[in-house]
Amino acid sequence: MLLSLNEDQTQILDFIDSLARPYAGVPMHDVSLALTSAELDAALVENGFLDVMAVEELGPVTAALVIEKLARLPFAIEAAASAMVRPLIDPELPRPLCLVEEGQTRKPLRFLKPGASVVMVGPSGVRSFTATAEMIGAAQEDTLYGYPVAFLTALPEAMTAHDAEPAEVLRAWRVAIAAEAAGLLGAALASTVIYVSERKQFGRPLATFQGMRHRLAEDQVMTNTAYWLALRAAGTGDAGDAALALLHAQDAAKRVCYDFHQFLGGMGITLEHPLHLWTYRLKLLSAELGGRGGQGLAAAEAIWG
Amino acid sequence: MDFEWTEEQDAFRTKIRGFLAANLPDDWEKFSEHGPASPALTAFAREFCVKLAEVGLLFPHWPKELGGEGLGPWEQQILSEEMWIAGEPRGGQYMNVNWIGPTLDKYGTEEQKARYLAPITEGKSLWCQGFSEPDAGSDLASLRTRAVLTDGNYVINGQKIWTSYAGLADTCFLLTRTSDDRKKGITILLVPMDTPGITVRQIPSLIGEGDIHEVFFDDVTVPEGARFGEEGQAWEIIAYSLRNERLGIPRFTLARAALDRAVAMLRDAGDFTREYVRIEAARCAALCEAAGTANYAVVQRRVDGLVIGAESSSARYATVMAERAVCEFVAEFLPEALAGASPYLKMHHQRGIVAGIAAGSAEIQLNIIASEVLELPREPR
Repeated sequence: MLLSLNEDQTQILDFIDSLARPYAGVPMHDVSLALTSAELDAALVENGFLDVMAVEELGPVTAALVIEKLARLPFAIEAAASAMVRPLIDPELPRPLCLVEEGQTRKPLRFLKPGASVVMVGPSGVRSFTATAEMIGAAQEDTLYGYPVAFLTALPEAMTAHDAEPAEVLRAWRVAIAAEAAGLLGAALASTVIYVSERKQFGRPLATFQGMRHRLAEDQVMTNTAYWLALRAAGTGDAGDAALALLHAQDAAKRVCYDFHQFLGGMGITLEHPLHLWTYRLKLLSAELGGRGGQGLAAAEAIWG
Repeated sequence: MDFEWTEEQDAFRTKIRGFLAANLPDDWEKFSEHGPASPALTAFAREFCVKLAEVGLLFPHWPKELGGEGLGPWEQQILSEEMWIAGEPRGGQYMNVNWIGPTLDKYGTEEQKARYLAPITEGKSLWCQGFSEPDAGSDLASLRTRAVLTDGNYVINGQKIWTSYAGLADTCFLLTRTSDDRKKGITILLVPMDTPGITVRQIPSLIGEGDIHEVFFDDVTVPEGARFGEEGQAWEIIAYSLRNERLGIPRFTLARAALDRAVAMLRDAGDFTREYVRIEAARCAALCEAAGTANYAVVQRRVDGLVIGAESSSARYATVMAERAVCEFVAEFLPEALAGASPYLKMHHQRGIVAGIAAGSAEIQLNIIASEVLELPREPR
């Protein structure tokens, strides 16, 4: 058992910090619901941050750390599927990767655009295809989610079958989303803490009221444990750990998204404050793979059969 | 990062399990329904801990100069986990090896070490913790039990409450007030429980026989040498001790073991096919494992020689959430377990309900997290 970061991991996270520094703040007067940056994406690819899992001395825990770290940025980056799931399927699949459950194609897909690799996982195996403009229906322009999303309107006649176990891909998928959710939870908490520490009512900061302090503290407990469960699931590679990690992260997401916007009051419903850039990504992740019920059933099956 | 136990750590766990299998009686599960502070379990523990000491499993995590094996915090964690899952056959002696011994070593006089460490390491002593008072619970610093130094003796008057193990303990780790300067006016005295003037009254409770007590001090007189640390140093010392105590009980492991037991019973009853039961069971497992990882993150800090701060409060609160979820799961889906069908689940339930109360209430942990982890501006006083 060793829960501290090794030197490589510390270096990688520090490197990401310096690389992402220009993107750590929200652009002034930006009122968009989702933020993306092709430059940041290219820089991450160029520096190999999305390929750490295959490096022997780095591996899945480092991939989870990278995903968690990147999710803390206000910018939405397609890192989870690329860094943790793609290596299991085909490391050369063009990005972005859009993971979809077989039979669940009605749902909005994150990062879907022409040229994206759509990976379908289910009873028929693990298959992929490259999305074309004809297969994609745009979501409404002001969709609330903090990701670029679109709909699949058609499937190709043939897909590429991959020699990968669907169960193993699902496991990695859960870990990847759990790690991303952990980063979003951490960033949303930090953002809320700053606001309620500065905003004064009744002559004192909101954060001095115990009604808020206790809920924020509980949110910290959920956020901290979501982080650790995601890393542990990455480390053990166990299907039960993966399902528990995502279950817990989705449980946490449900709770904190409500709390944080509540604590920000009117400011929490504006686009002026960046909180939504994390919480509305969490909302979409809470729908991933059947939500809490889906994860609960998967965990129960893995743990108790 | 590595989330697997090393071979040595696995072997250590196996050794403990082997010892437990060989030294717990066949009817142990029924027997352990007696609370950890009950006369029956206390008497059992006095023999059991002597045997543990003989095979080097009573305090293997202590440094070698104190007679331990010099094993690390992970081994202490493994030992605590295995004992607690087994229903804590050490009874109240777990406190001795987790924090009383190390605290004695750090702050005690040579005379105090000579007097108290040996019985601890032999598995023969039982301590109680005289902290809470009727008007000083979560607000511990408002305690009023007075100790007055007169002619080389402290004369103690006052009352403690909720004191675990008091009925059978040999010695009390007692917090007293020696001046009116709130936290700085509190002083620790080590008081033999057979000192004249001490009256112990048991409080019948939901957590089992002999667990909690009122303790009255009427002109109880101890020599000045019973003072532990300096006058007014108590707050610093207990802050150090409680950090160990908060981690001391790995409640999440028993909660998880109880959950597994409950699932097995539900399966036998044909009820574990219901999706809502399976989902709720998984949610409980997630909370147990969440608490486990939070606790392990604190253990790692100890391994790295870092100060244990408010992370231990966060880990503790995670544990409270896990205990609560499993207790509620059993009550909701296995009511028969608490009415005789499972001594083990009843034992867990009785121990689980105090998770958010003992060793500093859950709300105090939230205060600490708010101030020290989130660094929120302080509440006005």
